[in-house]
Amino acid sequence: MPRKKRGVEERARPMSGDLAERLAEELRRSRESGQPVIDEQEFPTGKIRVTVIWDEWDRLPLEDRTAVILRAYDLAEGHGLRDRIALASGLTVPEAYAAGMLPFQIIPALRRDDAVTPEQCRQAMIDEGASVLLAADKPQLRFATEDEAEAARKRLAQRLPNSDQVWVITQEVGKVEDWASR
Amino acid sequence: MPRRLLDRCNPDSIREFRAAARQRFDDALALAGQGRRTGAIYLWGYTAEMTLKASYFSLIGLAETHLITWNADLQPAINRGRGLGIAWLPQGAGHNVRAWSELLVAVRALLPATTYPPPFDLEVQRRGQRIEQLWRETLRYRKNYAYLFEMRQIREATEWLLVNSHAL
Repeated sequence: MPRKKRGVEERARPMSGDLAERLAEELRRSRESGQPVIDEQEFPTGKIRVTVIWDEWDRLPLEDRTAVILRAYDLAEGHGLRDRIALASGLTVPEAYAAGMLPFQIIPALRRDDAVTPEQCRQAMIDEGASVLLAADKPQLRFATEDEAEAARKRLAQRLPNSDQVWVITQEVGKVEDWASR
Repeated sequence: MPRRLLDRCNPDSIREFRAAARQRFDDALALAGQGRRTGAIYLWGYTAEMTLKASYFSLIGLAETHLITWNADLQPAINRGRGLGIAWLPQGAGHNVRAWSELLVAVRALLPATTYPPPFDLEVQRRGQRIEQLWRETLRYRKNYAYLFEMRQIREATEWLLVNSHAL
């Protein structure tokens, strides 16, 4: 009877387009706003958890997202940092929102006599990093903290003159059943 | 009169999870051998879930026979994971294999003595991700027939967790 011996071997997953290069560029530039949002949390041991919130992940399997993130860190920071990454997760904005990670939202509360148009607001929100995955005409501009939302509100007011009164920050409180199960 | 099956069951504990994980793995193998792919995947998902939960509760120091309950153990673990930045959806939270795998990695990364060596941490996460793509506890309500490669992927990921359970 044949006795077969083999190791566990995983083929490297093919990279998806130029996502790793684009993410590496974002790591180098570290922009003030827009997507992707790169959240790095350092543990006391020096290990790092990286979460990248980016609508470009849409339809990409979770494992591929992780592979792209690791590759991007390789490109931007070299292998040293990669060995410190314990967890690397990619989420779209709707996914991060569904997981309760983005409870703050900026919405445009336009009145008839406001000096800006709905389309100008929509574009300003997209430039600021809003997601259009759920509905192209209703961008979702969401944040993890109120401070982040407030900073974005100020940038929107600068980006779109005379829109200061338009932007409203709301907070998601969740469903009653979710709170009950906590 | 012999006691009924449910009356003979022990309460949830690390020991029960580990023993049941082995049994469900073998049950799934038997189903796979009969071409019952979705049924096999369904059971392998639970194998992974129980393996990860047993490892987490062992890591935080619970005794092997400590009674594990939703309010005292599972929900606090999920809340801890959320606090550590893990994406943990409310729906089916207790069964989220990917989130349990990430919780294990994150909690281990808090202390030098328990941190996984690279790339073992990412390997644990990867198995959790793989299973999340193919398994939900709600599969029991579905009539769909799994592809062969889907069954293979779940089996390999679950087998890896089981084989490495001593190191998780």
